[in-house]
Amino acid sequence: MPRKPTGHSSRLLPVRPLTFSPFARSVARVATAYMVKHHARDAMQHSAGDEFKKLKKVERQSESSEDEEFDGVVQADFAFFDPKPDDFHGLKTLLQSYLDNKEWDLSGFVNLILEQTTVGTVVKLEDDEENGVFSIITALNLERYKDHKCITELKEFLLSICLEKDKIGNLRSLLGDKAHDVGLLVSQRVVNLPPELLPHLYDALFDEIAWATEDEPTEELRNSFWFKFYIVVSKIYKHKNASQKRSSSTDEGDAFIYVKPEEEILHKLSMWSFLFPLQTQQVAAHELKNYQLNGIVMAVKAEDISSFRQQLHTLINES
Amino acid sequence: MATRLQFENSCEVGVFSKLTNAYCLVAIGGSENFYSAFESELADVIPVVKTSISGTRIIGRLCAGNKNGLLVPHNTTDQELQHLRNSLPDQVVVQRIDEKLSALGNCIACNDHVALTHTDLDKETEEIIADVLGVEVFRQTIAGNILVGSYCALSNRGGLVHPHTSIEDLDELSTLLQVPLVAGTINRGSEVIAAGMTVNDWTAFCGSDTTATELSVIESVFKLREAQPTAIVNEMRNSLIDSYV
Repeated sequence: MPRKPTGHSSRLLPVRPLTFSPFARSVARVATAYMVKHHARDAMQHSAGDEFKKLKKVERQSESSEDEEFDGVVQADFAFFDPKPDDFHGLKTLLQSYLDNKEWDLSGFVNLILEQTTVGTVVKLEDDEENGVFSIITALNLERYKDHKCITELKEFLLSICLEKDKIGNLRSLLGDKAHDVGLLVSQRVVNLPPELLPHLYDALFDEIAWATEDEPTEELRNSFWFKFYIVVSKIYKHKNASQKRSSSTDEGDAFIYVKPEEEILHKLSMWSFLFPLQTQQVAAHELKNYQLNGIVMAVKAEDISSFRQQLHTLINES
Repeated sequence: MATRLQFENSCEVGVFSKLTNAYCLVAIGGSENFYSAFESELADVIPVVKTSISGTRIIGRLCAGNKNGLLVPHNTTDQELQHLRNSLPDQVVVQRIDEKLSALGNCIACNDHVALTHTDLDKETEEIIADVLGVEVFRQTIAGNILVGSYCALSNRGGLVHPHTSIEDLDELSTLLQVPLVAGTINRGSEVIAAGMTVNDWTAFCGSDTTATELSVIESVFKLREAQPTAIVNEMRNSLIDSYV
């Protein structure tokens, strides 16, 4: 029943480029290059309170910068934590564009995530005084929280932006009568978060969900984590000419470019998905000039998750 | 009375608005809810003017003003300047100043009598501030921060400063400003006071994440509970109107 905290890593090298906010400082610290040091110690390490879940990370080629100059290499130790009330502002910043530019009860949504400490992981730097949040992953049962304003607004939003007639029926049923089996999979991170963390992050989430089905104090709560479906709301780049007949030449590029690598796997495994146009202005990088950023909503069956986890491990370990 | 509101999911109300005793500026592009929250509190009393500064919406941080005048940065366009001059009351002098520190709202914290400024502000700018805004100018820091306009919200009746301001600093500033000061936070623990709220002598607008405790501190230090707009405006009217014919 107790979760085993595993391997512990070394200290953080304080390198400070010039930025103006605590959050930007945290991000800039990890900015261009990074290393994640790994100590393959599986001995049970002491963890200060059971709020920590530390993680084994892979040992890599590292150049550590001994001097104070910022030569582009930053050493960073990421640790996984349970959501805490202090993370409010960091999480709110990460989730700012979750529902495009709709005005909704974002603060309430963040509070929901923070209150669910049994399932949900926040990625922060170890011993970071500024408490910068780098990533969040959690799964929220849509029925359990159906009375909260943020969830009602979220459901309304999803139903309103679904323009595909054949998918809207499915969506309505998942948000309506099947809601008690549906988990909203929320996964947001800073753009340059090392991908090596992803398999561990998703493993942590799905393991916590499995543990919650046994550990939660009431039967109702235990059942609320027996998800049969997951809904994912995110953003992807779609090729502007994708709807035209595609010639055999592949210099057109891929039809979709995924901001988050694991979403490629999820998209393939999904039962159904639909795209929706975004209203916020997007600044396109040169490489992405043929692509348009769209929102995407996907529904994945829970039985496909183990395959997802395996494929994610393979994908990250190969690249 | 203090009101909680949001600008497009952001609780940084003081970034997108500027409130004084004679006028209120709001940014363009927020939803009508934002604009109407100001209108419903202020409509009969002072003009609420929608504007941009230098094409941006962060007007609260770019300009500094009080009932006597408004200072805008050098990159304000001519149309914006004209729009402001047309929409604001005649006694409010709108002046565009050439100052390399162009985020005037971050560099200057002022009420109708006294102003705190960034330590590196030009001497000329200091003179213009004293002249246009009709205030006494003091170069100060707040809790070691030079951006006094960001870490302090000031009205004629009180002020709220950065939470880490020491007691000695609080006393010193309070003597300079001649108003009671309190160190506190806004928007659930944010230290950037002036970004999270905007205040004048009878009302305040705070971000919607502001907790009830923070709100009660604000209402007590700015003495908003008994304040009525009519009292202030009547005072002003007496000094503006020479005689009734």
